[in-house]
Amino acid sequence: MAAHYTANRAMFWRILRRLLGANRGRLFVILLALGAGAAVTAALLNLQVDAKRRLTSEFRVFGANVIITPQNLSASPVGNQLLSESLMNKIPSEFEGRPILAAAFLYLVAEASSNTSPTTIQAVVAGTDITRLPQIGAGWKFEPLAPGTGESAPALLTSLSLRCAVGARVAEQLKVIHGAQLSFDNGSKKTSCEVVSVITSGGPEDNHIFMDMPAAQELASLSRRVSLILVSAEGTPGIIERFISTLAKSLPEADVHGIRQFTEGEAKIYNRISGLLTATVGIVLLLTGLCVMAAMTNVAMERKMDVGLMKAIGGSMRRVLRLFLAEAALLGLIGGLIGAALGIILSMGLGKAVFGVAARPRLIVYPVAVALTIIVAILSAFPLRRLASIRPASVFRGEA
Amino acid sequence: MFLRLVADSFGRRPRHKLLTGAALALGMGVATAALSVSLDVGDRLAKEFRSLGANLLVTPQADSLPLEISGVDYRPMNAGAYLPESDLPKLKTIFWHNNIIAFAPVLEVSVGFAPLEAPADTQTGLLHTPVTQVVIGRSILIGTWANNLVSLPDGSRFLTGVDRTNEWWQVDGRWFTDGTKECILGKSFARRAGLKLGDTLRIETPKPGILLTVTGILTSGGTEDDAIVAPMAVAQKLADKPGAYRKLYVSALTKPEDDFARRDPKTFTPAEYDRWFCTPYISSIAFQIQQELTGTDVRVIRRVAEGEGQVLTRVRMLLWLVTGAALLAAALAVGASAAASVIERRTEIGLMKALGAGSGMVGFLLAAEQLLLAFVGGGIGYALGIILARKLGQKIFGAAPEPSFIVFFVVIALAAGVTVLGSALPLRRAARYQPAPILRGE
Repeated sequence: MAAHYTANRAMFWRILRRLLGANRGRLFVILLALGAGAAVTAALLNLQVDAKRRLTSEFRVFGANVIITPQNLSASPVGNQLLSESLMNKIPSEFEGRPILAAAFLYLVAEASSNTSPTTIQAVVAGTDITRLPQIGAGWKFEPLAPGTGESAPALLTSLSLRCAVGARVAEQLKVIHGAQLSFDNGSKKTSCEVVSVITSGGPEDNHIFMDMPAAQELASLSRRVSLILVSAEGTPGIIERFISTLAKSLPEADVHGIRQFTEGEAKIYNRISGLLTATVGIVLLLTGLCVMAAMTNVAMERKMDVGLMKAIGGSMRRVLRLFLAEAALLGLIGGLIGAALGIILSMGLGKAVFGVAARPRLIVYPVAVALTIIVAILSAFPLRRLASIRPASVFRGEA
Repeated sequence: MFLRLVADSFGRRPRHKLLTGAALALGMGVATAALSVSLDVGDRLAKEFRSLGANLLVTPQADSLPLEISGVDYRPMNAGAYLPESDLPKLKTIFWHNNIIAFAPVLEVSVGFAPLEAPADTQTGLLHTPVTQVVIGRSILIGTWANNLVSLPDGSRFLTGVDRTNEWWQVDGRWFTDGTKECILGKSFARRAGLKLGDTLRIETPKPGILLTVTGILTSGGTEDDAIVAPMAVAQKLADKPGAYRKLYVSALTKPEDDFARRDPKTFTPAEYDRWFCTPYISSIAFQIQQELTGTDVRVIRRVAEGEGQVLTRVRMLLWLVTGAALLAAALAVGASAAASVIERRTEIGLMKALGAGSGMVGFLLAAEQLLLAFVGGGIGYALGIILARKLGQKIFGAAPEPSFIVFFVVIALAAGVTVLGSALPLRRAARYQPAPILRGE
């Protein structure tokens, strides 16, 4: 009995091998269709997961989306309520694996003058960590005053003691040129700094002069105090919401809230784009499956002769069908393994083209894509069942 | 005879042709849907990005330096320049006027306030029962338009205001009506002053005050949460600047800036200048506004504009890639199907050759058959894809993309090209067939 079983199985595999090898052209066509389907499936699945994540980091070009202010902010000029600088230490640098960027600001109004112009104007001086400005103000334009110095503006901003960056309108009014010395006067306190960069933001920052925090605190006689903290948090709308509530709990002495203009806007756009992406990918996958299936069925229906012959020499329909389904599954496996691997490599390239960073291959995508391909292949062999009613004789007479 | 052969092939093997046709139609359906959505998505997403608010800021050119901290200008009322409100309808006369989605002028006044218990008459602002109460605090009153119907020079009317530019502002209750003595309060301010919906508030500058009825509580997430927002006329009266505003926010639909748009307009040749002027780049719209509203300085709010451009470019590229993948998959599946249908017809080819048909003739016949199939399948696929794209557009953006003829031609050409290409390889091999062995079944 066991011998009979083994022989049976050996025969099964032999027939399978012959079926596959019989027609090279057909084998190639089937593998092409299945492989293409698998490649597209794997590429899109991988890209979709990656793109949504990338998109949230892309949104950081909008700059800060969370603001920390003193509670009960009063509307008197240069708010008399301030935050302690130590709050900065309580802001994590990472939340749920996404980077968090924070910068503190201290605002004061001081008399400013430049050695390049006789005028003295009142201007808002903002103390902050100037090295972080290019990241917090992601959309701003930083212009080094001397063109061709070789250093980009953000680089210029990284090494400074008494250097400052001025907003475009301040620069206009004070006729600032490269290396200009700005002097500040705030009652009894005086200080000066060298202009290294001009900032164009289109917003109120155009009217500000940025200098290092300790210098500003000294000028305002407010040591270790800040007016507000801007935070740029990355992530999906849900993550940002959780971040805000977590931060609010750890900073009970301050008022933490999202800058609705950006949190709301970003959430809306993110949901639209991710909906679009999911829908497009879903439909492409579904129809790719159907396409491959139609092509495969086309091929399968040509096997009438084979089915007829097998039935003629005594094969039961179940055994015949099992043979063809095994063939289809094997083809799906091969096509899927090759196609999905190609697809993942493809998606890495595509990710690089779109976001400048290669999409990270996700291992889960590979088995999913292969499994989907096998399912499609088996499904497309199923119409062979219709051949069950076939009479072998009529096949050979060429009638059916 | 040729036509009869083709017709016969379709008539005798309908199921076979149906399957190939179905593969074609499905494949081309994907291609159509993906293409339609990709073509349309740029405009739709650009509109979505307007929910980030204004991307242009207009201020007086001859202005002194604003002392603006966290959105509040601390300059005294008499310092700095103002702009005339009556010029604003001109905004909708620029070349790209249809791209101006909304605009709202702003005038800020620093005021003292005192809550009152008794309701005031909203029309006259007079109290029914006079109460004297001391000013309990100071705040900023922002005068603006909520939903103002602006009469345009061409006779039409345009509804705009801060409700349109700042979509993220959430008002519990209702917006004030422009031109009345009503206001909405920022939520922190309302908490601080102990005011709620329907209360009355006395506003004072050094001059005698105005009474305002609270119609809504505002959550903006910005400095406005700590301010009073009131109709423009109220702020103008308090500031004693009739018909003037200080800042204007403009929300415009733009095309993301490319390298061309980043160049200085002064360096353009006349032809380049025309191209720049006639493209809705944010810089050209800013330039046109500046020309129309004299004495203004128009600045691009870079945070919004740059971010929008960058994200939009990426998303568009991403969708084109997905579309490309869809086209590729459809093409391969269709090509495979076409190839299969040729491979399976060896006997027929053998017979035709035995009867004296040349390889060219056989190839021509089969290609004609495939092309016919491609046109029919492609056409059905196009119709299918358009329906799909409509559903998709409706679901995601609430608006269906317009069917475009370009897509139709692209899809039909693709269908034809792919089937012919798919059949070409097996046909080339068929040309080498010897009829005798095939007919013998070898």
